[in-house]
Amino acid sequence: MTTLSVHDLVKDYPVRAGLRHSTLRAVDHVSFTLRPGRTVALVGASGSGKSTVAKLIARLEKPTGGRITVTGEDGADVPARAYRDHVQLVFQDPFASLNPFHTIEHHLTRPLRLHGRARGRAEARQAAHALLERVSLRPAAAFAPRRPHELSGGQRQRVAIARALAPGARVVVADEPVSMLDVSIRLGVLHLLARLQREDHLAVLYITHDLATARHFSDEILVMHRGRIVERGPADDVILTPRHSYTRLLAAAAPDPEVRGRSLTAEPGTVTEEDLHRSFDHYTGAWQPTG
Amino acid sequence: MATPTTPPPGGTTAPGAAPRSGWRALLPGWSPRLGIGLGLVLAIGLFGLIGPLLLGDPDAIDNMGRTPPSTDHWLGTTQTGQDVLSQLAHATRGSLQIGLAVGIGATVLSALFGVIGAYAGGAVDESFSLFSNVMLVIPGLPLVIVIAGFVPREQRGWWTLAVVLVITGWAAAARVLRAQTLSLRNRDYVLAAKVAGERRRRIVIVEILPNLLPLIASQFVYAVIAAILAEAGLSFLGLGAPNTHTLGSMLYFAQNGFALQYEAWWWFVPPGLVIALFGCGLSLINFSLDEIINPRLRLPKAAGSGTGAVAGRSTDEAGTEAGPAPREPGAVLTVRSLDVVYRTADPVHAVRDVSLTLRRGEILGLAGESGCGKTTLAYAVARLHRPPAEVTAGSVVLHDRSGTDIDVLALEKEDLRAFRWDKLSMVFQGAMNSLNPVISIHEQLDDVLTTHRPGMSAADRRARCAEVLTLVGVDPARLTAFPHELSGGMRQRVMIAMAMLLDPQVMIMDEPTTALDVVVQRGILREIIRLRDELGFAVVLITHDLPLLLEVSDHIAVMRDGEIVEYAPAARMYRAPAHPYTRQLLDSFPSLTSARGAFVRGGDTDVPGAAR
Repeated sequence: MTTLSVHDLVKDYPVRAGLRHSTLRAVDHVSFTLRPGRTVALVGASGSGKSTVAKLIARLEKPTGGRITVTGEDGADVPARAYRDHVQLVFQDPFASLNPFHTIEHHLTRPLRLHGRARGRAEARQAAHALLERVSLRPAAAFAPRRPHELSGGQRQRVAIARALAPGARVVVADEPVSMLDVSIRLGVLHLLARLQREDHLAVLYITHDLATARHFSDEILVMHRGRIVERGPADDVILTPRHSYTRLLAAAAPDPEVRGRSLTAEPGTVTEEDLHRSFDHYTGAWQPTG
Repeated sequence: MATPTTPPPGGTTAPGAAPRSGWRALLPGWSPRLGIGLGLVLAIGLFGLIGPLLLGDPDAIDNMGRTPPSTDHWLGTTQTGQDVLSQLAHATRGSLQIGLAVGIGATVLSALFGVIGAYAGGAVDESFSLFSNVMLVIPGLPLVIVIAGFVPREQRGWWTLAVVLVITGWAAAARVLRAQTLSLRNRDYVLAAKVAGERRRRIVIVEILPNLLPLIASQFVYAVIAAILAEAGLSFLGLGAPNTHTLGSMLYFAQNGFALQYEAWWWFVPPGLVIALFGCGLSLINFSLDEIINPRLRLPKAAGSGTGAVAGRSTDEAGTEAGPAPREPGAVLTVRSLDVVYRTADPVHAVRDVSLTLRRGEILGLAGESGCGKTTLAYAVARLHRPPAEVTAGSVVLHDRSGTDIDVLALEKEDLRAFRWDKLSMVFQGAMNSLNPVISIHEQLDDVLTTHRPGMSAADRRARCAEVLTLVGVDPARLTAFPHELSGGMRQRVMIAMAMLLDPQVMIMDEPTTALDVVVQRGILREIIRLRDELGFAVVLITHDLPLLLEVSDHIAVMRDGEIVEYAPAARMYRAPAHPYTRQLLDSFPSLTSARGAFVRGGDTDVPGAAR
């Protein structure tokens, strides 16, 4: 059982404006733990730093400070070179994350062979077909030789999920996995992720701006605002009884047909001054100062 | 899918509109241009390849001197009685040899420096880039003269020229490849390969290079043309290699033999013609290669009988077949039985028999998924659709405040220009990015007023610009700001302000807030509704977000596959959706606040064919 822990993660980006140099803190002392079989949702507006967290966990960026550690089934820390056997990323845009030049099979056999999950062509092909079956792309033999442009957005995202599972990953970071898909197929892809999680006992980080799916598809919610986690707790607690003014603002801004005709001219509220420097933890039921 | 279909305007692509890919994508689509180009290049190539074997010795001197074409010498003879046709064959071979060698050499060098530098990044990229920039400014002619000085004339062969031309010819292509690689290396699929743990070398060769091939091929063709022309120029100036036959050296000897003065056209016209035709053929091939790199260039071909906005439809014909739009009380825009077809090789019926009525001050929601035709419908109503899209039937009538009815589809140039923006304005998805970055907000707003309200004084215009900005909740002091100084939400507000400048009666908003955060989106929607209440314009709000429409709009039309499947007041649609597709869409949005039992994270049913 693989557990991923993030301790005090910090990421600064240099900003150059004319001759002035400054740094932008995209991620500010973020800590959380991904446990097997559990989904943690990271919600926030664009620019809040949630995608940067995904890139840091996927090792596409180097953290400025803090640590990311992965603990394997034997309880020992996973060495750096085996990191990618355990941790994989599902990208937001299925139209961009598959190489238009290569077949679906190529996208799956490469990671399979790279991580020693299959030897030889025939075995890799067989494993790739099995993966396609698992993400409900059937018959696998019909999908394998196709190229990405012959697939719909939902099918492509299923291939991307299969690719993330190919190295045998036990921790999956899904960065807005459905926001680029048509609404009627979003739930299908989320349900697929949920089933795979149950089957493989995956630890999932679900990054999204959509509070509703975050609530229904995760166990724990972290609300991120300007690089900091401002509220954390069990999914229902955070959504139904939000304490931080930013979480309330997010919840109030989500469209809700139930309250049709609610006064749109009313002020949506703002993040209060004191909330800028504190966060609420539903597990301890207490406020904590940040930064 | 042999021919690509045209994506509808506005970014939402219809299924099947994706570009071709894989090995097939590396082959240009067949076109007369490509045919002529290939024909010319192949013919000249064969002539250069086989000609020298069949025709006699080009250097055989005859004392017959300069003679015009005859049956013995099809292209006549030179001053020294050499056969021009035979010389031409050898010269063509020589020139092609140099062209090919330089093409290959320059392409390999440019790929090496451009692709590897860009992918490696950092110091490697900086130094490779600096090196190619330096090479770019080294002029070929002086370099050849210098090298000619070093290499004795007798030892100068065709390869000397080739080496010089490679050295001076690769840098420009390297810069082009570097730019493209820089863009490719940050694509998600390259990052995905990195996350999968691929080695860098393999990422370059397997993930990046295939997607560069069309560009490399076109750079190669360009390098060949450039080399042949450069060699011809150098040889003509007498800087070429002696004892070799090239088209340039032929021209050089013709010049020295006073061919022009003696009107011996058969001596200098054929080599010139071969150079011109070969260059022309390669350029035509290059155009076809460009179409692979930039599929947009293919559109005019796909348009077929694209004959303007309302092609295939005469105004009175539509008037009779659709019947005069029955005018509902309070209606501002009536759409009757509108059909829009993309006239591509495989015609797409994007909008079928759509009828809508927009009442004054109403917000009409248009919901649907990508490719359902909602954007095409909006474009057709605003007459912004371009070939190959065509309105084939139906009518769009705007009932003006003044009481007159305007047949939108019948409007001609000037009237159409006046109609758009004045009576009906649009805000597009990502419109905030369509502000001109080098002009201040005020100038961009002012421009609309000077065009549509020529009589307005400068002071009045300024006051109006400030007024609309205040309306959308932007401080008028920001009038002097440039677009990059404003946030995305502010820019979108400016676009809405611009759409309101002329006090239009209808505003069509295509996903106006999709690119924005929910909090910002809420603010902008509040603004739109408040303004609607104050100013009384009608809004067509197009989005895929059905809950949003259910909350804010009066009527909702749900579109699928170009048809409106359900058209009802919003409240009724929420309480009792009639069409299964509407229910499916509604079910796609779990409620934020309802009890958990209403929606359980179950995992999918895992039945074959369930995946879409």
